[in-house]
Amino acid sequence: MAEITLKHIVKRYGDGFPAVNDVSLDIADGEFMILVGPSGCGKSTLLRMIVGLEDITSGDLLIGGQRVNDKAPRDRNLAMVFQNYALYPHLSVYENIAFPLRLRKNMSDDEIREKVEKAAEMLELTEHLDRKPSNLSGGQRQRVAMGRAIVRDADAFLFDEPLSNLDAKLRGQMRTEILRMQRRLGITTVYVTHDQTEAMTLGDRVALLRKGELQQVASPRELYEQPVNMFVAGFIGSPPMNFVPARMDGARMELPFVSFEVPDQLREPIGDREWVIVGIRPERFEDVALMDSDKLGRGVEFEGKVDVVEWLGNEQYAYLPYDMPQISSEGMQEIESDLGGETMQPQLVVALDPASRLDDGSTAKIWFDPTRLHVFDVATGENLTVAVPATT
Amino acid sequence: MDGRKTSNWWTVWGLLILAWAAFPLIWMVSLSFKSPDTFRTSSGFWPKDWTWDNYSTVFRDELFTSALRNSAGIAVIATLLSVIIAMFAAYAIARLEFRGKKLLLSMALAIAMFPQAALVGPLFNMWRGLGIYDTWIGLIIPYLTFALPLSIWTMSAFFRQIPWEMEQAAQVDGATPWQAFRKVIVPLAAPGVFTTAILTFFFCWNEFLLATSLTSTDRARTVPAALSFFTGASQFESPVTAIMAASVVVTIPVVVLVLLFQRRIVAGLTSGAVKG
Repeated sequence: MAEITLKHIVKRYGDGFPAVNDVSLDIADGEFMILVGPSGCGKSTLLRMIVGLEDITSGDLLIGGQRVNDKAPRDRNLAMVFQNYALYPHLSVYENIAFPLRLRKNMSDDEIREKVEKAAEMLELTEHLDRKPSNLSGGQRQRVAMGRAIVRDADAFLFDEPLSNLDAKLRGQMRTEILRMQRRLGITTVYVTHDQTEAMTLGDRVALLRKGELQQVASPRELYEQPVNMFVAGFIGSPPMNFVPARMDGARMELPFVSFEVPDQLREPIGDREWVIVGIRPERFEDVALMDSDKLGRGVEFEGKVDVVEWLGNEQYAYLPYDMPQISSEGMQEIESDLGGETMQPQLVVALDPASRLDDGSTAKIWFDPTRLHVFDVATGENLTVAVPATT
Repeated sequence: MDGRKTSNWWTVWGLLILAWAAFPLIWMVSLSFKSPDTFRTSSGFWPKDWTWDNYSTVFRDELFTSALRNSAGIAVIATLLSVIIAMFAAYAIARLEFRGKKLLLSMALAIAMFPQAALVGPLFNMWRGLGIYDTWIGLIIPYLTFALPLSIWTMSAFFRQIPWEMEQAAQVDGATPWQAFRKVIVPLAAPGVFTTAILTFFFCWNEFLLATSLTSTDRARTVPAALSFFTGASQFESPVTAIMAASVVVTIPVVVLVLLFQRRIVAGLTSGAVKG
């Protein structure tokens, strides 16, 4: 058990480009920390630096208060589960799990058997102990990889996208198992993923990276409700947050499809900016037809033409195109490309109650509460409606 | 129906090739069982009276038995050394970044392509000067030189196929680089090592040019070289059938090795190592 502290960690490859740039992070003892971000954001590199498979260019890495920058992986006492599991194909499941224990000189065969069997029982692998990895299913291989980590009494677990090779159903199941195991063992865990569902469901805290730089470290709830910038807001949430350019006209805010009085709490953050980007989560919208007049009065309603409706059973998504005014800035374009070019779409995604009877091609009356908006700076993408600063 | 027609064609084609390749071998076996006195005069492909005489002749001949000993000793030692050296070299090439790696690989290839005949003269003189002419070591050194490049190339190809994560996992699990190499990489590379070892062994076992040029007596002469010095049971007898018997004897280890390790060579031990 140990806390892991990263102080101004930098990783530079031969071309001088920083893959990880000045990342500082405190991972508490027993905490489940998620590193998440789009591909190429440096999250795996960061994990590999923690475990010792990559050199740290500059900065300090402390495990349990001790600087370990120059220690070999074997001396850091960390257990890692690889994306491809990296099981030893020539060894049985039993020997795979026993492998780390056999490398220690001071452990008897009986002790090893006891530990391996205990881990196997916990992971429901007991009946497969004699089999070779090639005869196991994907989920079982995943469990063997976890077993190899568990037996070690390691100071921390590191996971590198461990579920990305499993099919959707199994992934959900293994996710719960990993969470249960972590809670039960109470061991410090660092978990790399690009899947935001994993990030949100597993983590005590989530660290979101972009181009090697830490954007925000926060609990999943805070990350969702208080994103520090457009990048975080656009990355977390599915379907993603709607970003709509808005022009300020005195006390009124003009969106391409509606204009309304700026709520009091937004006035000060917006200041004298002429243009801002407004962020609205799809589920903040409601179908006017299903609302009581009481609530209706507290928000703004507008009309829009529904392009298509996706019905999912427990909810449905309606897509409403609108005319996008021409504003763009370098900062925004960058965010746009980092998020896969889908941030600023000339259409609204609206999550509706399944009871809503809106159809493809129909004209919809949609309502939202302007006090629940996020407002972002056009140039920097910074969230003006969040008081908390970006760094921890 | 089309499918069956093509597969019939493949069968015919395969049989043709098999016949073409096997004919000299079968002829060799057939001749080795014929009587040395009558094989010229008697007609028919197969011997009329099967006889083991030729085999007893060659095994009674000191020339052959000592050559067999030399061949086995030299080939085994050269193979072992070559495999061990090549294993480390190939591992370094596959896994480590170091200056001159490209140069090393292309030099190795160049040496493999070097015409051996051009070396015979200088080697002959050098070996006599050094006093290792007509010794085992005198053959082992050039065999190593010619076998190593190809061994390094084939083995580094095998090493590259082993997922690097395997080794990193071992390191994280607490293994030293040496332990990771010995406990994970070597077992996984075993098929590659076997393949290389067998190929090297065949090369040393079959080599003729250096074997005739750098030896002069029973001390180091290997079987391919010795065969050319062969006479029959008496000097009035034609040696052809005896040579054939000797050839069959030296072919046997090759065939046995291939049959023994064929599955080992083909079986991909790494299947199931990663993903699902």
